Amino acid sequence: MLSLLKKKTDATPAANRLPAWHPNFRNYDQLPDIKAVRTSFFINGGAIMAALVLLVYFGIQELQLHSVNAQISDWGKQIDRDKAASTRAVAQFKQFQAEEAKINQVIAFQAGRPVLSDLVLQLGQTLPANIAIDSLDIRETNMNLRATVRGAPDLASGYASQYVDQLRADPALSLVVTEVTLTNLNRVPSTGRLAIELVLKLKAPAAPAKK
Amino acid sequence: MAISNEQVGALFKKNPVVTGAVFVCLVLIGAIYFRLDAMPEATTELEARSDEGRRLAENIKNSVQLTEQLAAVTEANKEIDTRLVRTGQLANNLQYFYRLESDTGAKLLDLRQSAPPRVVPKTAKVPVGFTVAVQGSYLQVFEFLRRLESGTYYCRVMSASLAPIDEVGPTGLLRPTNARLTLNLELLGTP
Repeated sequence: MLSLLKKKTDATPAANRLPAWHPNFRNYDQLPDIKAVRTSFFINGGAIMAALVLLVYFGIQELQLHSVNAQISDWGKQIDRDKAASTRAVAQFKQFQAEEAKINQVIAFQAGRPVLSDLVLQLGQTLPANIAIDSLDIRETNMNLRATVRGAPDLASGYASQYVDQLRADPALSLVVTEVTLTNLNRVPSTGRLAIELVLKLKAPAAPAKK
Repeated sequence: MAISNEQVGALFKKNPVVTGAVFVCLVLIGAIYFRLDAMPEATTELEARSDEGRRLAENIKNSVQLTEQLAAVTEANKEIDTRLVRTGQLANNLQYFYRLESDTGAKLLDLRQSAPPRVVPKTAKVPVGFTVAVQGSYLQVFEFLRRLESGTYYCRVMSASLAPIDEVGPTGLLRPTNARLTLNLELLGTP
């Protein structure tokens, strides 16, 4: 019995170990693709995928376009519906503006100057007991007021300056007057009273609003 | 090496899926290319339409009370028109002051209407100038001024001078009871 440990002798000759030469007649084009996943699957799949991507993109674009066109159509219908009423409203508004401009002319006319009788009334109502207004003169920008102050000589000038302060603080007067200045103060020798002269600077009329 | 039509046909027949997909891709690319401007154009048109639509809707919404408001201002203007002097009607204009004189008891010392501006549009409102001097008791003079400023016509006093008429004399301690009011005033009018 042969020992299993005995080394086998390589009896095959060297010439037999080389593959036998033979001509290769295989036609690779006609042979089936024997890869696990065929190449044509990737090519077809890629082509179909590209076509699908483009189709989806185009479809989405068209869908959005359809939606936008539908909105345009809706707005068009609304415009057609509203146009007549809007045109009527615009024409009415133009009439309104023309009528309003006429009223604004009157407002601007009256706002241009203070109401003199209101001014006189206000001066009369707030006049201190020991002061009497002699005359008033109203011009474009100023109103000059001449008055007489009754009282002891040492107190009369105090009354005058108090009156100036009172005029400056008068809320009703401040609507039309910006500045009150005592410009003259002298004693009348014949009466012994103090004659004062005040200048009230009138507010400039508001500029008309630009259209 | 030139490829014959038969070879191309054979290639297509051999790969029908790829051929079809490439054909579809080419068609879609062409369609996408030709529709490239459609979206921006549609968006621009939509913006324009929606803007116009909103504007029209706003016009209608804002004009809900316009009819009543227009009627109100038209009515107000009719009333204003009745309160305007006519520059050419000198007698009527002066009569207004004489009526005030008789109503208040103040005495008119001077009454003049200024010359109207030469070129004025027919529909325009123009201030018509008057110079008025009245004399009377303080009460009469003030009543005259009050009625003038709150009377029929729109009036504004451009300049005025109110001075006492010193009948006692400058040395008297009694204050004069009469005054003279000189006015440069304007009444709003139409040509």
